[in-house]
Amino acid sequence: MFNNLIFIILFMLGFYALIMKTNLIKNVIGLNLMEAAVFFWVISFSDIGGEVSIYKLGEEITKFNDPVPQALTLTGIVIGASTAALLLTLIIELNKFTGTIDRDELEGLND
Amino acid sequence: MNKLMKKSLIMTILIATTFALYENFALMPEYQGLDVGISDYIINSGLQDTGSLNLITAVLYDYRAFDSLGESTVIFGAVSGIVLILSRKMLPVSSKGLSFIVKRSLGIMTPFIALFGFYVITHGHLTPGGGFQGGVILAAISIIFSIVYGSAFDYRRYSPQTKTALETGGALTFLGLGLAGIVMEGAFLHNLGFLTAETGTLISAGSIPYVNLGVGFKVGAGLAIIFYSMIQKTFEEDF
Repeated sequence: MFNNLIFIILFMLGFYALIMKTNLIKNVIGLNLMEAAVFFWVISFSDIGGEVSIYKLGEEITKFNDPVPQALTLTGIVIGASTAALLLTLIIELNKFTGTIDRDELEGLND
Repeated sequence: MNKLMKKSLIMTILIATTFALYENFALMPEYQGLDVGISDYIINSGLQDTGSLNLITAVLYDYRAFDSLGESTVIFGAVSGIVLILSRKMLPVSSKGLSFIVKRSLGIMTPFIALFGFYVITHGHLTPGGGFQGGVILAAISIIFSIVYGSAFDYRRYSPQTKTALETGGALTFLGLGLAGIVMEGAFLHNLGFLTAETGTLISAGSIPYVNLGVGFKVGAGLAIIFYSMIQKTFEEDF
């Protein structure tokens, strides 16, 4: 059950960065860590000790790993990259207008 | 409430969540295997259905092609949003790049990087890879260019209009193949039967290679546009 333990550690590290750190870029890193933990977990439970699910010409393969979680994870990675890029863009723009990317300093800026 | 109390409260919540997650996994049943459901069907008849040796590509661009279309729409939306947010001044300004040796070495290496990207895209149905992965390699060429030669070089060689045309062209290729599926096979994004050839050759597996090509150009151009929008106006102009 190593994969569950590693999933918990990675996920909680990401969650810690998301709620404890005040730097917004570190928050985005935490969000990406949480995503990576979920992807890792989905891939790890689809591994049942078989071959990668790709046929090879002239070879008979009897046992495949599950191809569906891998395809789903590919979708998730692309969505994660898009959201991270959009978040970082918003942080760049925030820095242009306010001169800070710290969450606590931003809270004091509205007066 | 002072800061220390706040922090200790958050730490308590974190530890409680960790414990809850651990207990949750202890209750979870073992993985049931591939004997039931969609995985079994795809492993047993994916090759006959699609002609694609790579079953993951078969899932992505045939069984769940509509989902991949939505996925590339998400990239399109992200690119549109980023360009909209960062587009008040479209002047590309940047550093001068690295030294002469690095520039010459990269000049020799670039065709091979591009070749590898195209290989990963076009062989998506035979070997590991596909449109998304190869597109990221193609976008890496653009990023390396702007690091090594300075960003104005890539801007002059491959202008944003070219990249926008590539991205739109990729998306339209995907959509056009989907509409061709309606006309010829009776379902949106259905695999085109007349394109299938002997399994294992480069031009086989119906419309999957062409969809891969479209997605590859779309992702590559989209990521390059995102990178370009982000580095604009971060350096002083020194030309």
